[in-house]
Amino acid sequence: MRTFRRALAVAAGALSIGLAATACSPGNPDSQAGGGSGSADRITIGTTADVLNYNPLVGNSRTDTWVTNLMYPRMMSMGMDGVRSPYLASKWEYTDGGRKAKFTLRDDFTWSDGEKVTADDVAFTIDAVAKEKIGVVAGLISSYQKSTVISPTEIEFQLSQPDGTFLENVGFWMPVVPEHVFSKVGSVQKFANDKDWVSAGPYKLTTVERGQRYVLERMENFPLIEGGPKTKEVVFRVFPDVNTEALALRNGDVDLIANALPPPLAKTLEGDSKLKLVKVPSLGWAHMQYNTAREPLDKLEVRQALAAAVDYEAIRRVALQGKAVSSNSSVLTPTLKQWQDPSAKEYAHDPAKAKSLLTGAGFKDGNGDGLFDGLSLRMIYDQADPNISKWAQLVRDSSKAAGIEIKLEGLERNTYVEKYTARDYDIYAGSWAIMENPPANLALAFKCKGFINYANACDPELDALIDQARGQLDQAGQKGPIQQAARMITDKVYDNVLYVEEFTIAHSAEWSNFLVQPSELLSIVNPVSVAQATKG
Amino acid sequence: MTTELVMPSGGDTPPPAAAATPAAGGLPPSESVARQTWQSFRRNPLGLVSAGVLILLGLVALAAPLIADYPSGYGEEVLAGPGAGHWFGTDDLGRDVFAQVIWGTRVSIVVGLAASLLAIVIGVLVGVAAAYFRPADLVLGVIVDVSLSLPVLPLMILVAALAGPSVPTLVVVIAVFSWPEVARVVRSQGLAVVPMPYVSAAHVIGGSHLWIIRKHVLPGVAPVVAVSVVLTTSRAVLSEAGLSFLGLGDPNSWSWGTILHQAQRSGSLATAWWTTLFPSLAILLLVVATTLLAVAYNDARNPRTR
Repeated sequence: MRTFRRALAVAAGALSIGLAATACSPGNPDSQAGGGSGSADRITIGTTADVLNYNPLVGNSRTDTWVTNLMYPRMMSMGMDGVRSPYLASKWEYTDGGRKAKFTLRDDFTWSDGEKVTADDVAFTIDAVAKEKIGVVAGLISSYQKSTVISPTEIEFQLSQPDGTFLENVGFWMPVVPEHVFSKVGSVQKFANDKDWVSAGPYKLTTVERGQRYVLERMENFPLIEGGPKTKEVVFRVFPDVNTEALALRNGDVDLIANALPPPLAKTLEGDSKLKLVKVPSLGWAHMQYNTAREPLDKLEVRQALAAAVDYEAIRRVALQGKAVSSNSSVLTPTLKQWQDPSAKEYAHDPAKAKSLLTGAGFKDGNGDGLFDGLSLRMIYDQADPNISKWAQLVRDSSKAAGIEIKLEGLERNTYVEKYTARDYDIYAGSWAIMENPPANLALAFKCKGFINYANACDPELDALIDQARGQLDQAGQKGPIQQAARMITDKVYDNVLYVEEFTIAHSAEWSNFLVQPSELLSIVNPVSVAQATKG
Repeated sequence: MTTELVMPSGGDTPPPAAAATPAAGGLPPSESVARQTWQSFRRNPLGLVSAGVLILLGLVALAAPLIADYPSGYGEEVLAGPGAGHWFGTDDLGRDVFAQVIWGTRVSIVVGLAASLLAIVIGVLVGVAAAYFRPADLVLGVIVDVSLSLPVLPLMILVAALAGPSVPTLVVVIAVFSWPEVARVVRSQGLAVVPMPYVSAAHVIGGSHLWIIRKHVLPGVAPVVAVSVVLTTSRAVLSEAGLSFLGLGDPNSWSWGTILHQAQRSGSLATAWWTTLFPSLAILLLVVATTLLAVAYNDARNPRTR
C-alpha cells in the first residue's frame, strides 16, 4: 500500500512539470470589481514582468517603460514611420547653423501636485542626464553644453557642434521629470522614485503590489485628450509568461496584452472572435553581430561566410511564421521609409559560397567531419527571448551545413547582460527595440567604442560618414552619408540584419479607439492610446 | 544486519580470523541471500515491469540514431498534431516531437546517471567517513545538515545561470545539491555497521582503516547505496528537467526538459498539448519506474517484507 502511495506521489510530481505551466495562473485580485475587464472604469493590461525601476530616466525594461510612459511626458511622440510629432513640445528648431536648438512647450501640462510643467523641468532633466551620464540618453546628447530657459514655455540648448540629431533624440528619448521633486533627492540616477509619485502624463501610479499588479489613476487634466483620459483606472497585471497572459485574455481577465505575442501563439489567436489582433511594425531589427576584435572574425571572409551560411527566408517563414520582413541586410529598415536604400540587397543563403570563402581564408577540414577545423564559435543570446531562441537554432543548423560549428549559449538575462557588456562572445544574437534615428543610432552602434557597438567595429571611414551625417541639420542632408554608411556596414558585415519583425498585440474586442505607434514599447500601450481607448 | 554484508571475500592481507567472525551469527551465506532477494523480487510484478521499463528506456537511449533522425533544422508542418507522419506531432519549428523525445532520453538518462553517480561517490565518502571516524562525525554532520537545509532549487538555478548552460554544468550542479541525502542515509547505515563485533575484530587483528572500510563497512552500506543510486537518478532526471524547463539546460542537445522549455517559450503550451504531454509522460515513466524498482528491491532484500 505504501509502495502505491509513494508511486502515486512521484507520478504527480513528475506530471506537474509538464502541467504546471499550463495550469498556473496568478489569482485575479480584480475579479471582485466588475470581473476585471468588465468595467469601463478600468482597463487591465497584462505584462510578464514587474517594474524594476520607477525612475523614468533609469528604468529601461519593457514594463518600466510602459508604466512610466503613462506618468512622465516626453517632448515628442512618434508616427508609424518613425517621424516625430508634438507631445509636450509644440515646436522645435535649430538656429545659429545648428549650434543652438530650441523647444517651445505647451502651456497646459500640469504635474499631479498642481505645479505647472515648465521649461525649468526640461532644463533640470537634461542637466541631470548630462551631469550624471544617465542611461542611453546621455550617449545621445554628447553635443549638449548648456540650456537656457527663455520663458516658462521656451528653452534653448547650446551645442558644442552642429548636431542634426539632438532635438529628435532629446524629444523622443528623454522623459521630463518634475524639478521640484527630483531636485531634492541628491543623485537623480540613484533616486528610486518608488512612492508618492508626481505625474504629468495621462495616469499616475497609486498602488503597487509586487508580482501582482500596478494601479494607475486618471489625471483628469491631461491636455492631449479632450475631457481627459477616457478610462478611470489602468491596471498592469503581472503574469508568469505569455501563455498564461493569453489564457487570461481569452478568459476576459485582462483586456490587453502589452507584450508582443510569439508568432505561433498569435497564429492560434487569429480565429478568436472575442479578440482583436493589432499589427505593429518594429522600429528596430533582429541581428547577429560578429565580434571583429576576435580571431578569426576579424577576417572579412569569415564574416561573409557566416552571413552566407544563414537561411534568412527560413527564419522569417518558419521561426517568425511570416510575421517579419526582410531589411535587405541593411540597417536602414523598411519601417523608416524616408531613410531606406533601394539598392540594398540581402545576403544570399549560399553554403557553397561560405565554404569557398573559408577555404580561401585558409581553413581546412582535416579530419573530414564536415566542419572546418578550428572554427567553433560561441553565440550568446537571451534564452527568454522566444524568437531569438528559435532562430538561433536555425542559424546553428544551417551554419553546420556550411562547415561552421556554432555553439549556442542561451543565457539567463543577467548573465547575458554581463557577457555582452564585457563583449565576451564570438557572435552576439539580439534585437534592437527602437533604432528610429539612423545618424544617432549608427553612431552608438558602429562608431569606435560606441556604447552599443557589439561588433567592436572600428572603421575610420565609417566613423567619418556617420559624423558627416550628424553635422547635417535636416534629413535630406543626412540621408546620403547615412546610406553610404549603411552600405559599408553591410559590405563589411559589421552587422547581419536578419529581419524586421511585425509585432502582434492582442486586445479584447470590447475595446477600441487605440492609437497604434511603432515598436513593442509604444504599440497600443503608448500614453495617448491608453488614454483615448474606449470600451463598447 | 545480515551476514553477507560482513563476510570478507579475499583481497590484500586478509586477517586470518576475520573469516570466522560472521559465522557466529548463524545467518545464511551471501549466495543464499542474493538468491532469496532475487526470488522475492521476481515475484513482485511491479518491480519486474519497472526493471523492464528502465531497460527499454536504456535501449532507446542507446539506439536513438536507429529509431529517429536527430531533430535539427526546421520542417514545413509547424505545430502539427500527432498523426501518421509525426506520431507525437511537431513543434513550433516543424520538428518531430517523437524524435526529440527519443533523443531526449539519451541526455536525460546520461545526466541522471552521471549526476547520481557523482552524488553517490561524494555522499558515500562523507557518510562512511562520518560513521567510521567518530570525531569527524560532528563536523561532517553539521555540513550535511546545513546542506540539507539549503533551498536547493533557487541555488541550482543560480549556479546553473552563472556557470552557463551545458550538460557537464547540469551534472555537477545536480550532484552538488544531491549528495547530502545520500551521505545521511549512508552514515546512518554505517553507524549500525561500525560497532559490529567483526569490525572490532578486524581492528584487533591489525587491519588498517582503509582495509576495514573497504572490506567491512562499504559492503555493509552497499544495499542502501544501491537504493540511493536508483532514487538519486530519478531525482536527478527530475532536476534536469526542471532546470532545462527554466531555460538553464544545454541548448545544443535535446533533453525532455528542453522540449518542455521550448514549448513554454514559444507560447504554444496552451494550444499544442502534444509538445508537453509526451516529454512529460517520458519523465513520468522513468521516475515511476525507478521509484518502484527501488521499493521492490528494498522489499525483496528485507527479510521482514520478503
